[in-house]
Amino acid sequence: MIIDDPRSKFIFLYHPLVLMGRSYTVYQGKDMTNGEVLEYWGKWLVLGEKDKLDELAEKLDPQVENKEIPCIKYDRTPPLNLGVEECVMMVYCDRRNRDEVWKILAGFGIKMKAWVTERETMEMWLPGGLLLERWMASQDYDEATRDAVREDAGRRIAHVLDNPEETYKTWEQ
Amino acid sequence: MAVTVRVPGSLKEWFRGSDEASCQGGTLGECIDQLDHEFPGIRDRLLNEEGEIGAILIFLNGENVTKLEGLATSISDGDELGVIPFAAGG
Repeated sequence: MIIDDPRSKFIFLYHPLVLMGRSYTVYQGKDMTNGEVLEYWGKWLVLGEKDKLDELAEKLDPQVENKEIPCIKYDRTPPLNLGVEECVMMVYCDRRNRDEVWKILAGFGIKMKAWVTERETMEMWLPGGLLLERWMASQDYDEATRDAVREDAGRRIAHVLDNPEETYKTWEQ
Repeated sequence: MAVTVRVPGSLKEWFRGSDEASCQGGTLGECIDQLDHEFPGIRDRLLNEEGEIGAILIFLNGENVTKLEGLATSISDGDELGVIPFAAGG
């Protein structure tokens, strides 16, 4: 199911059950813990123009519906504020299934393989992390707001890192 | 060792309008040196001021090379390198 809400900067592809409250960070039918997400969860990256990613999303939607791919999101517009001139599609899956997911992407003509783990992503958004700092600079925040954002990001990520046995909860976007 | 290097469309200018190039070398560092001969200045695009990977993301057969051995990562014939802007990884 493609969720294209103009109020969101992302377009999402979820299984309908996710809209009913089910998690998409699931492995073999079981919700993943924070520790499992940090160890196994990640995404294949696909960069391209928005219309090309729209076409790819249509092709991938059946694989999301049949649960071969847990979740996909992609940019509505290029994240120029972060220094990226193309839209980015993130095809999420468990590392243990990523080869199967890659075969699906390759079958639709994707050539460049780029796998980024959830742990790497969190490191980019930690206080002082390159992406968090670049994003805040693009928002023109004052220093007090930046400090508050850093504190919030640090607290959220620390919670995941410090509670490996807890069921992972996805962040609202 | 012949290696294919791929970049997204927005970086095609790096390879004179192509999203693909090839290079040779036993390590990633050697590949970048060889690329810099063919495409002068590409080393400065790929590496930061300290000569390290950091300004962009480089993947060897899909794996982020910073999680391998960085510039010392061994390259084999037929390997594929992918290069994307750092922020695309987040």
